[in-house]
Amino acid sequence: MAAPEAHHLFHNPIADHSFSSDKSTLAVARDSNVELYQKSGNKFSLTDELKGHEKTVTGVDIAPNSGRIVTCSQDRNAYVWERTASGWKPTLVLLRINRAATFVRWSPSEQKFAVGSGARVIAVCYFEEENDWWISKHLKKPIRSTITTLAWHPNSVLLAAGSTDSHARVLSSFIKGVDTRPEPSAWGERLPFNTICGEYLNDSAGWIQGLSFSPSGDALAFTGHDSSVTVVYPSAPDQPPRAMLTIATRLLPFNSLIWNGENEIIAAGHDCEPYRLRGDESGWQLTGTIESKEGPGAGSAREESALHMFRQMDLKGQTQADTQLKTTHQNTISTVRVYEEANGAVRQFSTSGVDGRVVIWTI
Amino acid sequence: MAQLNYRTINIDVLDPESSINFPMDTLLPATLPAPTTSSDAASVASQVRQLLRGGDAEGALRHVLDTAPLGGNDRAKEVHLAAVVDVLQGIRQGEMSRVLEGVCTGEGGSERADCLMKYLYKGMAAPGSSGGSKSVSPQSTGFSQIQARNLGEGGGGQQMSVLLNWHEKLVEVAGTGSIVRVMTDRRTV
Repeated sequence: MAAPEAHHLFHNPIADHSFSSDKSTLAVARDSNVELYQKSGNKFSLTDELKGHEKTVTGVDIAPNSGRIVTCSQDRNAYVWERTASGWKPTLVLLRINRAATFVRWSPSEQKFAVGSGARVIAVCYFEEENDWWISKHLKKPIRSTITTLAWHPNSVLLAAGSTDSHARVLSSFIKGVDTRPEPSAWGERLPFNTICGEYLNDSAGWIQGLSFSPSGDALAFTGHDSSVTVVYPSAPDQPPRAMLTIATRLLPFNSLIWNGENEIIAAGHDCEPYRLRGDESGWQLTGTIESKEGPGAGSAREESALHMFRQMDLKGQTQADTQLKTTHQNTISTVRVYEEANGAVRQFSTSGVDGRVVIWTI
Repeated sequence: MAQLNYRTINIDVLDPESSINFPMDTLLPATLPAPTTSSDAASVASQVRQLLRGGDAEGALRHVLDTAPLGGNDRAKEVHLAAVVDVLQGIRQGEMSRVLEGVCTGEGGSERADCLMKYLYKGMAAPGSSGGSKSVSPQSTGFSQIQARNLGEGGGGQQMSVLLNWHEKLVEVAGTGSIVRVMTDRRTV
């Protein structure tokens, strides 16, 4: 396994990051702006800033094909940014929410995007040609608290949402005229807007922080603040799931997860490094960390000069400073994203976190 | 017109959409065991004490954790907590690791570990059972202490040190994840 490629961009938390499909552009949410970095050599350098939000930006996503960037913020707004000859042009989206927007993702079809919010609604947004703007429809019914995370099913109709009411839900976001009727699946056959295809709560509850559909879309994994990962295999519409497996870990909670094929999940969070889980319908288990801490710089016993040692003892009462974590990330990882994949098998993935680093990992 | 101070009205209570009115019972999973009463808990406690007297410390701890009244009323939970604390105090320090290893492995082992962690925190939160009458601060600190913590002295302090010992051993076995789950889990003990 190749060493992870770490880019320390700045000393601020990164709420969310997104790469363009050719991996040359990196969009990073920093405070109330979104910064665009271009790859030059093996470094990323700041080239552009998307300014427009008045409060902390909570989500950013680049559509792989159209290259449009959608951002959302605690100022209750979302913008769609399009590249024009004179720079990036924002278009305001009418979200109609009265609390902060918390999370945003494009659907795989790129015709829609979904914005989670503290107003206990998910705004599903699509472009209306007649009026030339983005409008939204609200998914509202069973949600009892803030939406913290969202994930799209490959068919661009089903949407999974995690919430601070400890439930992970699968909802239909079918919009007439925008979506084509999806193939029937284990989640449901007829899927009008706001159909509830599944509502899951694991035994130890906990706010849901990250969730993801498997590449086939036939399984859902979610992780929450109870340090566990739960995998759900649906059986048939309106039936209890075929299997719902909870892996209670001995680690700190995970914040985000992705699937690698149908039998592997990569999750990362407050332990500052990514972990791997393997399994299938009969059972899942945590197999260990992805980071190999054998490389240079990881060894804590670095050679120190005697003078330095005594100076440290004098100043701080210790022989060496142990403020550095042995992991690549030096603080909580908040987002895990697929960087490069082929047929559902992830070859590389990227993480970003509170330490202002974006790291690209090769499996 | 009656004088009504509108500033003092808690409008959140009146708003059905408010987070104050969040239905907490929606966080309880469907697998919650049936409600139990304090007499059920008392009979479990006597079984457990019998096991403990018979020298089967591991069996006693296993049984008392498997029968935790997650769906019981407050009284049942209190009686059961006393039984758990008795078991924990009845196991010698040298045996802790071995007993814990046995209880926290195998079928349902991680559930038992999480359950034990809940009891440790509940035990530490509760005023010491034997030292409960002592409610004045040992030093005149100037702070009004409603509940003395009794750390390091008297019966309550002894119980606390036993619980802290168990906590240390349990974290070695079950990790920090278990502590996190004590905070999120609504199936209280």
